[in-house]
Amino acid sequence: MPYDDLRSFLNTLEKEGQLLRITDEVLPEPDLAAAANAAGRIGDGAPALWFDRVKGFTDARIVMNVHGSWRNHALALGMPKETSTREQVEEFARRWDAFPVAPERREDAPWRENTVTGDDIDLFDILPLFRLNDGDGGFYLDKAAVVSRDPDDPDHFGKQNLGTYRMEVIGRDRLALQPVPVHDIAQHLRTAEEQGRDLPVAITLGNDPVVPLVAGMPLRYDQSEYEMAGALRGAPMPIATAPHTGLDVPWGAEVVIEGVVESRVRQIEGPFGEFTGHYSGGRRMPVIRIERISYRTDPIFESLYLGMPWTECDYLVGPNTCVPLLKQLRAEFPEVRAVNAMYTHGLLVIISTAKRYGGFAKAVGMRAMTTPHGLGYVTQVIVVDEDVDPFDLPQVMWAQSAKVNPKEDVVIIPNLSVVELAPAAQPAGVTSKMIIDATTPVAPDVRGNFGTPAKDLPETAEWTTRLRSLLARR
Amino acid sequence: MHSSDSGRSEAADAAPVCPRCAHDGVRAVAHSPVPGVWQVLQCARCLYMWRTTEPARRTRRADYPAQFRLTEHDIATAAEVPAVPALRTR
Repeated sequence: MPYDDLRSFLNTLEKEGQLLRITDEVLPEPDLAAAANAAGRIGDGAPALWFDRVKGFTDARIVMNVHGSWRNHALALGMPKETSTREQVEEFARRWDAFPVAPERREDAPWRENTVTGDDIDLFDILPLFRLNDGDGGFYLDKAAVVSRDPDDPDHFGKQNLGTYRMEVIGRDRLALQPVPVHDIAQHLRTAEEQGRDLPVAITLGNDPVVPLVAGMPLRYDQSEYEMAGALRGAPMPIATAPHTGLDVPWGAEVVIEGVVESRVRQIEGPFGEFTGHYSGGRRMPVIRIERISYRTDPIFESLYLGMPWTECDYLVGPNTCVPLLKQLRAEFPEVRAVNAMYTHGLLVIISTAKRYGGFAKAVGMRAMTTPHGLGYVTQVIVVDEDVDPFDLPQVMWAQSAKVNPKEDVVIIPNLSVVELAPAAQPAGVTSKMIIDATTPVAPDVRGNFGTPAKDLPETAEWTTRLRSLLARR
Repeated sequence: MHSSDSGRSEAADAAPVCPRCAHDGVRAVAHSPVPGVWQVLQCARCLYMWRTTEPARRTRRADYPAQFRLTEHDIATAAEVPAVPALRTR
């Protein structure tokens, strides 16, 4: 059964041993962020972290790292927690094919229990806000979904957007918003600002576990994230009407903040430690004026730590980045077995493929660079054989160490496109790109001495599944 | 030792100016629900926001890292993202 809200998912995480309650009193800074940062350093099975004894607060309920391990990611999608990363990405791709699944409208949303409006609005009354990284300009909402509509086509359900954008708290009722120009909300805002109008928005915090996955997914402009959530859930996504703006929002949210992006206004924002492992900001950004907040009684504040990878953010966007590349490559090259594009949104990609003939693997690497996502991200490709799991990095390193003859198997192409925020680009937006062909040469490419490989035993795959399952049930 | 029954005295000691841009227009935007434990302060110029109980590297001008400091010029010349578009004309 899919989860309709965050609370029911937290119950499952706790039952599965994947939610850790921190019972000692902690400081809001630096403890909350440092604990979530540490969760990313303790390995694949890291739990979600629950805090309710935070110094100075009387009734804070804070949860972090909810999606911050492959176990938790599997559980969010209703898979057994021991499901391998590769299988999770395959299942994600399979469910994607069910798109679109129409949402189900419900009007009894639990966040209708409490409301504040006008001069009574004070974010600090409702949310136990805190800082993540030393250089951050303030306290951020970094795991909220922001809903907006196309001002020129407000009745088009698919053009209504649900996306995760960083928001800095700059006052009791004001937020700064980062709409990067390629994002859908930036298109909505541009249209509104060309007309001199404010852009209504609804910000939903503490959502069911599929919302953060679809809110970071690179869908087409007119494709609905709610219809994708239905596909990933295997059941219609429950939505409700936000009372002040009329926007469609997740039924199960903990908090719904409504207001407007003020037209043609910019204020200083940031910096903020970003997914690239570097800060960005110190720029003048749009501002949201909050006009109404609705919230569940005793709301849970969900946040995520991001900084130097790996962090929760990498689990959230990893499969989203692998799946489109996998689908686009397989459409032309069915030999492609798996794609691991989880490093910094796919700046580095590892592809596992069978070979048609000598030179084929390098062609697959070049194709990855010319996919729509590849144009902006894929700067390094490691291509490995069909029996190497691209999600198993020691295996990938073995392939690279044993199979690569650098002079012939490393190809560097100068002056190609990349997103401007890629830290190594020079100038911003332009980079060289590299293919490392770590596959075994096949005819007519007869280089090397690869005649007698030691292969996994035929029975090993079955035993791998058996051992994983036994270990998970201990 | 100063009194712990109010965050005010602690804030006054720790942050007479903005740690980031050295502006003296600092105001309290929030007080701890448990009285006197902390305040959240904000600079009126660069909007930097901090809690009085955060480490000195985030709350004291002298300890604030050089790479994150801002000047009045930095704020005035910061890039606009996204740029405000031209108004549509009929």
